[in-house]
Amino acid sequence: MSDFQELVKSFPKTREYVRDFFVYGFKTRDEFKDKSPRTYDNERRRLESWLGNHVRKDHVSNGSNISLAIDSNLLDTNPLFRVWKTKSFTDNDIVLHFLILDLLQDGAELTVEEITGSLLEEYEALFDIQTVRRKCNAYEKEGLLNKKKFGKTVVFSIDNSIAVWIKSNEGMLDALAFYQMAGSFGIVGNHLSEQLDYPNRTFRVKHSFCVHTLEEEIVFDLLNAMNKKKDVRLEMKSSKNGALNTTECTPLQIFTSTRSGSRFLCGYVKKSRRFTCYRLDTVKTVTPLDQSEEYEELLAQLDRNRSYLWGVSFQGNDRHHLNRLTMTIQALEPSEQYIVERLKREGRGGTVTRIKRNVYQYETTVFDCNEMLPWIRTFIGRILSLECTDKFVEKCFYRDLQTMYRMYQIEEDI
Amino acid sequence: MELFSEIYSCYYQVLRHLLCSQDTLTIQDIRRLICSEGFEESLLSIIPKLEDGTWNLFEKDGKLYRSRLSSSFTTPVSDLEKSYLKALLSDPRIGLFLDQEQLEALDKMLAGVAPLWKPEQFYYFDRFADGDSFEDEKYRNIFRTLLQAQKQNRYVDIDYTSPNGSRVHHHYVPARLEYSVKNDKFRILALKPSHSAFAQGSQHEAQASERMKLEILNVSRIQDIKLMSKTLSSPVDLDTMIQRSYYKEPLRLRIVNKRNALERAMLHFANYEKNTTKIDEDTYECLIYYNQSMETELLIEVMSFGPMLTVIENERFLNNLKARLKRQRRIAPPAEL
Repeated sequence: MSDFQELVKSFPKTREYVRDFFVYGFKTRDEFKDKSPRTYDNERRRLESWLGNHVRKDHVSNGSNISLAIDSNLLDTNPLFRVWKTKSFTDNDIVLHFLILDLLQDGAELTVEEITGSLLEEYEALFDIQTVRRKCNAYEKEGLLNKKKFGKTVVFSIDNSIAVWIKSNEGMLDALAFYQMAGSFGIVGNHLSEQLDYPNRTFRVKHSFCVHTLEEEIVFDLLNAMNKKKDVRLEMKSSKNGALNTTECTPLQIFTSTRSGSRFLCGYVKKSRRFTCYRLDTVKTVTPLDQSEEYEELLAQLDRNRSYLWGVSFQGNDRHHLNRLTMTIQALEPSEQYIVERLKREGRGGTVTRIKRNVYQYETTVFDCNEMLPWIRTFIGRILSLECTDKFVEKCFYRDLQTMYRMYQIEEDI
Repeated sequence: MELFSEIYSCYYQVLRHLLCSQDTLTIQDIRRLICSEGFEESLLSIIPKLEDGTWNLFEKDGKLYRSRLSSSFTTPVSDLEKSYLKALLSDPRIGLFLDQEQLEALDKMLAGVAPLWKPEQFYYFDRFADGDSFEDEKYRNIFRTLLQAQKQNRYVDIDYTSPNGSRVHHHYVPARLEYSVKNDKFRILALKPSHSAFAQGSQHEAQASERMKLEILNVSRIQDIKLMSKTLSSPVDLDTMIQRSYYKEPLRLRIVNKRNALERAMLHFANYEKNTTKIDEDTYECLIYYNQSMETELLIEVMSFGPMLTVIENERFLNNLKARLKRQRRIAPPAEL
């Protein structure tokens, strides 16, 4: 493995490996079927190098497993952010980064020629003008440098006012410490916190899924398309069988589950004339297409549909457009009032009615009651009856309940 | 704007710290910093480049390295970062951290910058409906007092309404402010001295810290808060306290990979410390570590999977699950279903 490099050129390949190790963490070398053993060894070595403290090795009969042991209760930052800090670069890149930015720290406005000259005079660093120009232009695109034209003369400078302002505002530094853990694009907040040397020692975040950070490049591309109201082509890889496929849709909104750990793109598919959700971890690439002429109208339509959405499905098992579910619950008064609170808090707009002492009814109408089953099961022990216009849902619930009685040997006479 | 760019790379951060050092450095100092901040194998890549001068960023004086950079070196905020900051301005929680004047100042500096996202572009479909009132002035004041106390290790005097409605009054040191994405609420992980330890006063605080108890309080249930001058002088190892609170016997689940159960379970329980092993072609076993405060939530999560997961151990968890099933069978026997 003499050609081993700790840093990598592109993110997508790495993303898949990290996700597999993070989510599963029980696959041995032989079980990564799609990859060559050498690729596996290199990726594994990189992962161990980047995430050292969180990598756990277990010896099993057919080899050794490596997995990521991440307990979110103990995290001051998302350990997977380190994966974003692995981009490779050239020797010129790193030297020019520090020297050009240092040269311009005092607010001076210099031409490329002046910068090149100063690099030699002040830092004994010899670069040709073209190389310096390319770097200055690239940094202007990233927003690190300002570029101004005076006639034919182009000058570059730095504006450090925002960095200085943040440094002097503890509240802003605290906000960055918080949002890097709790919000979208936490990796960007983390970059800022690191640049300003203000690590998070104050906040912990529950029900935030570290693995989401691996999807941010996809979300970034989707948001760009959404802002421009453009359709997109998605290349996807099925999480079930690895099959590749492509689809085209109008991207409308990112749907996030705070429970299941999945995020989705909700888009409108013209071909089928339906709203559809795609799991973000299955999306490999996003290609922007033409502008959608009906973007605002579709957004409004999605908004109207939202009250009938339980999760991410716009269509149930049967042909009914909408299905009604009624669940009657036993909640002893007053000691089990928290159950009634749960129905209101978690019931996503469903109505909760007190039928009689200790008995409450929850009722809702949604596209796909099948999606409600996991939530309904959390009330096992209190469900007096469950009725649904989608009979499959009723059947599935009671069948699963019977299976559980058998699994845990819950006798009839108790 | 690129999300995956070398300007945010770990190597650049390590180098910045080395270069902003006011002192001359020995190669051992450099190694030490790379080991503590870099990746495990970064040393092998960075040291040769510095030693042979390929990265000509230090002046070498014999065996000493002196940075060529000015001491005031600051990395400018990139467009991506500006765009991120602009998006934060639309978040209802930003008012917990910045007052109106600060918000306006930041907004002015970011004039013309497009936000990286807009709140309406994200939809949290299973978030609970009773999130905290982040825009309420009383809530903000309580939050800021907690934040100050946490950073200064100071005690706070808290008047609190417990979930059962009773009013309690205690002294705590906020160890961390915890935000739940699902509940959209802040809690505090609060250290509460045992009564005897607190009564003995600060001279015995070192011993007292060992007798601290960890409690979780909802910020929205705090009725009144006063910042005290007393501080916690000896540090408390919060992570060890949390780990010690875990049951010795983890939850042991068996997962049969049908209906995509394995992937769903692995994602669902990704937040817990867990260890999964393959038993045979379609069967997996997963150990999940948890403590008493997570018990009910974990039980509910396991129940949501129905028969796709089987609880094998521990006894306590299994009994709780069986009790719910027994109650279910009792209140709605299968014949009536």
